[in-house]
Amino acid sequence: MRKQIDRRTFLGLLGLAAVAPAGAGEDEALWLGARLAAGGGFEVAVIDARGRDRLVLPLEARGHSFAIDAPRRRAVAFARAPGRFAVAFGIDGGTPPFAIAAAEGRHFFGHGVFTADGRLMLASESDYEAGQGVTGVYDVAAGFRRIGEFSTGGIGPHEIVLMGDGRTLCIANGGILTHPDYERLKLNLDAMKPSIAYIDVASGELVEQVFLAEALHRLSIRHMALDAAGDIWFGCQWEGEPGERPPLVGRHRRGREPELFPGPAATLRGLDNYVGALAVDASGGVVATSSPRGGIIAFWDAATGRHLGDRELADGCGVAPMGEGLVLASSGRGALAELSAQGEREIVAARPAPSWDNHLRRV
Amino acid sequence: MAGLHFPVYALAVLVSSTPALAGSGANVADNFARPALQDFESAAIKLTLATQGLCAVPGAATLAAARSLFVETAGAFGRVSVLRFGPLAAENRFEKLFFWPDPRGIALKQVQAALAQKDETLADVAVLAGKSVALQGLPALEFALFGSGSHELVSAPADFRCRFAAAVAANIAFVAGEAVAGWRVDTPFAASFTDPKPDGEPYRSAAEVDGEIVKALATVLQFIRAAELQPPLGDDSAGANGRLAPLWRSDATFGLVTAQIAGARDLLLAAGYAETLPADQNWLPGQVRFSLDAARRGLEQIASPAEKAFADADDRGRVEFAEVALDGAGHDISEKLSAALGLTMGFNALDGD
Repeated sequence: MRKQIDRRTFLGLLGLAAVAPAGAGEDEALWLGARLAAGGGFEVAVIDARGRDRLVLPLEARGHSFAIDAPRRRAVAFARAPGRFAVAFGIDGGTPPFAIAAAEGRHFFGHGVFTADGRLMLASESDYEAGQGVTGVYDVAAGFRRIGEFSTGGIGPHEIVLMGDGRTLCIANGGILTHPDYERLKLNLDAMKPSIAYIDVASGELVEQVFLAEALHRLSIRHMALDAAGDIWFGCQWEGEPGERPPLVGRHRRGREPELFPGPAATLRGLDNYVGALAVDASGGVVATSSPRGGIIAFWDAATGRHLGDRELADGCGVAPMGEGLVLASSGRGALAELSAQGEREIVAARPAPSWDNHLRRV
Repeated sequence: MAGLHFPVYALAVLVSSTPALAGSGANVADNFARPALQDFESAAIKLTLATQGLCAVPGAATLAAARSLFVETAGAFGRVSVLRFGPLAAENRFEKLFFWPDPRGIALKQVQAALAQKDETLADVAVLAGKSVALQGLPALEFALFGSGSHELVSAPADFRCRFAAAVAANIAFVAGEAVAGWRVDTPFAASFTDPKPDGEPYRSAAEVDGEIVKALATVLQFIRAAELQPPLGDDSAGANGRLAPLWRSDATFGLVTAQIAGARDLLLAAGYAETLPADQNWLPGQVRFSLDAARRGLEQIASPAEKAFADADDRGRVEFAEVALDGAGHDISEKLSAALGLTMGFNALDGD
């Protein structure tokens, strides 16, 4: 039942369609997103600020997020959990796509990161028989050979962020145990213990780990971004009683306890116990948190945690920096919009297709 | 415990016999959730008494009685397992009652360790209720009553194993009683589910209640397929392993699953959508019912014990047929029925990505 990477992946890759005009500048703003296309196929798209496709890459199954090595114009698209494959590709279409199969006994969770020098790619993975989270370490120059792994210190690692020092990884251990033989069923809701873990890339050593209060043990920490001060902002999904509405957005500064920001009651209700993605704007001072369930994107001041405003976007989830105070947002209904706490500008109207997946990433 | 809740049950019957102007939530509460949970609690109480009887008078007859009531209780739980929201989900109640799936065999390891160590505190239901959820429910009790060594229950008076079993049974009855209480008319949950208000919790509108009902139906069908039928089926008959099925030791597997399917059907019918949907869509509940009944009838024809059935050519076919029928019903529910009810299920909103 475990889906193995197969010939379809490789055959699919032959369908790579580079639609970028020749000579697209490296300084042009581009975003990456996974989506379900109009014709029903899953794909990865590189788009520009006007929402136009610059590169389209077919996938054999639903994609999720990306590791991006911007200086070397390279990215890795991950399959959605429990993913059995990832695909490395050139953002400008210059290099042929390259499929990376999950290691035996491991699956991808959909997120990863490159080290600053581009030598290593690190992916959040599950050692599912042991029920433990690991970070897979891949040697990029050796054809993305998996050269090792280290423990994430928790279960269900999701988003990975490289800290500003360039040598510390921050990993959101969502705390939810799954097993690929059981589809996406959550196997340990009674015993969840989510955490934020910091790991030294050079040694794999866990250098700091913080947990939420016991009463919030069902608050799965899943998505993160760095603000201008170098602090981690995180977004959570509540796996407890729906009538309880704990704060879903928080900030962590190394060496301190995590802080949670509930925001106004209407915003908390609007987020509907589910933050699907999180982004910090280009200035590093504004945080955007999306809830596809609630159909809103809430904005927060990174310095104070003050809530700045909400924008509505039905089934909106993907958010990525666009400008100062601005994010590019995508929806499962095909919409792309430039959003801020104060206003919105539609780039592509909602339409039957494509359905954008949870994450947009800026190159 | 049954006596305490009888007046509530009687009230529910009275309410349900009044002309139907109620919304889907009130219909489900009165015509499915409350009576089905009450039946589950009653079965668990009978099981507790029978297990205590076995401890008092060990013997083949008392063991058979306790085992028979275990199977009955598993079925009664199966019917309510579609209610995995609200009181039956709160406080880890679902996991306490049915710690499943359990791919790493945590319940088995913990129960075997408990039996080996004869930890007397685990024979006290008040203490057991604070222990690992894997020790508290049907899989743990099943091992005590049916697992290796359970034959000792016919002869050893005051055996620890029996007292542990009685404590687990009492805990199941207690948790069932909590779920019954959580659905009573005077609780905040029931008030919101049956009469949602814009400023209410957890439901602000009838659409949110419908969303909960649709999600509950889709969830239980996914659970049956992904957690109960697919793992023992494996990729082919050579890879089949009936011991990956829930409650195979008691051969209650298909009784559980068919009761779960029947519970899903009865909840759907209780919601009354065939009456409230527009004429061009009111056939949908009937179509889902047809698929669910087909799956259930197929499983009811299974001849071999659950441990063997997944590898048996004929029975395997019946399981595969049921699996496909349940998949179809799940798609009809989460796509067509939800659309007919005006619910839009988002591409990104369903799963914990």
